[in-house]
Amino acid sequence: MQFGAGLWCLQTSATTPRSSAEAYRQLLVDAREMEAMGYDSLWLSEHHFFYDGYCPAVIPAAAAALAVTTKLRVGTGMLLLPMQQPERVARLAGRVAEQSGGRFDLGVGLGYRDVEFDGKGIARQKRVGLHKQGLEAIAQYAEPSGVRVWNGSATPAGVARAGARGQGIYLSGANPLSLVRDLAAAHRQGWEDAGRPGGVRPRVAALRNVWLADTPAEAAAALEYQRASYVLYAGLGWSVAATGDTPTMDFKKDADAAVAGAVATSIIGPAEYIIDGLTAVSEAGVDDVIFRVVLEGAPQSAVHRVLRRLADEVLPHVAHLEAAA
Amino acid sequence: MRIALLLDDNTTTAWAAAADAVGSFAVGCWLGDTETSSVVSAAVVATTATTRVAVGVRLGLENPITLAEELAVLDNISAGRIIAVVDTGDLDLDGAREDLGLLVAGLSARPIQHAGARWTVPSGVMGPDMPKSLIVTPEPTQLEVPIWLVGAVAQALSAETGYPVIADDAGQPLTQARVQPAILQLTGDLVADRDAVIAWSAAGASHLFVRVPAGADPSLLRGYIALHLAPEVAMVNYPRVMSHTLRPLESTEETASVSADLE
Repeated sequence: MQFGAGLWCLQTSATTPRSSAEAYRQLLVDAREMEAMGYDSLWLSEHHFFYDGYCPAVIPAAAAALAVTTKLRVGTGMLLLPMQQPERVARLAGRVAEQSGGRFDLGVGLGYRDVEFDGKGIARQKRVGLHKQGLEAIAQYAEPSGVRVWNGSATPAGVARAGARGQGIYLSGANPLSLVRDLAAAHRQGWEDAGRPGGVRPRVAALRNVWLADTPAEAAAALEYQRASYVLYAGLGWSVAATGDTPTMDFKKDADAAVAGAVATSIIGPAEYIIDGLTAVSEAGVDDVIFRVVLEGAPQSAVHRVLRRLADEVLPHVAHLEAAA
Repeated sequence: MRIALLLDDNTTTAWAAAADAVGSFAVGCWLGDTETSSVVSAAVVATTATTRVAVGVRLGLENPITLAEELAVLDNISAGRIIAVVDTGDLDLDGAREDLGLLVAGLSARPIQHAGARWTVPSGVMGPDMPKSLIVTPEPTQLEVPIWLVGAVAQALSAETGYPVIADDAGQPLTQARVQPAILQLTGDLVADRDAVIAWSAAGASHLFVRVPAGADPSLLRGYIALHLAPEVAMVNYPRVMSHTLRPLESTEETASVSADLE
């Protein structure tokens, strides 16, 4: 199992104000720190036209973080592919991979906010076709340069298509473990049904809400960070459709229930509890875990401390884990 | 006149840190594949501290709103050090005017409402309930991102907008705008290169990007450009003895070595 952290969204929000320049300066500090702590990857996220400056251009941000590190992988989780010119995105990604020694992970998603599609002049109804064009351009221009592609999806059909292409998937931290298990299985099945393209099963990465806490007070603070971070999704209007035994999670129609459901996915406790939780994640079919620790209201010092403690007290005990078949 | 390094086939992004160390006013990143200048520039801004970074922006290949978003991110990564070198690409004057106008609006932190031949922003394609204007975020760090023009219709666009065109011929008349950037290919011959930078200064250039000769290494920045060329255009009648005196010792190792010799 490999480990990363995210999501760096580079915001300056109503409740956690700072300058955007400070947010980006801190990204470069964090990238160096993550590398020194031994993490495998750092992940960015993209949105457009949101009041808090949510990063709208993740490829340049990734290129900057890669330029100040030598081993750390940097990924986009997710770049909203239908909103950009496909060949240009693919060429940019390829160039980043070339100038970073192949350390760029390109996670791509469809996007969901109508206001973003409207601002870019693209009908959301066309996003699947545009996404397909984007993936074709990435296959032509980016993957030959060493770009590793990840697909963001929360539907069995979507992840199965990614598996059939021989590409990895990257699952939301708000997904309950039951859904993660279903999606990992569908991804694996899609890959097998397609004749196992590439010969090596593509990986399943999952954001997980993890926080190492020794006391009830620390755990309560971590839960509050999680809650505040998911209020953002209410502002963005995100939703996840029902799948199998997993009910709909709609941050637009019932924000309280959706926030509560997302927070309920959290693995918060002492090191032994985290190790048990990550073991369960690997048993659900996950290869790589991205700790979702960059949270609204969580001070930088707290984020660094929890990353350090996870690296020292947890990772040595879980690095051997392999995703269950 | 200030002198800057222009990255090209003879240089790599590693040159940028060396240019930063010797006080080059900028590192130009717009030559070659202008389509990917934003990610080359990102690596340069992340590995430099004070030098400005001239980012290539090619119009006509992407929505200007998306280009504005990229510039804003780069301006924030660099804490306000970018210059946008806008290439009009294959657009005609009308197209370049519209795209440049939208790009500039996207960097303004103001609500945008634009209806033109090429773009409508917001588009309205998602229905009547969508907002009638939008603001590109994050806003740049700089009060106003400098815009310098290159490309086939750059001169005509400059005449309309006042943004300077990057000149490449010191023999042609230059505008005497507050900023007049230019480009020079260095030869490696000190007399010729010194005359060339002086000629650009005399012609009215305010900022000169230099391309280095093939085979040069980054020591050229300190031992040639900073030592011999930059001082020539930093004052009138520069006393060249200043460039021919022994430079102060830089490293403790070097100081110790000299001290040992003296003993």
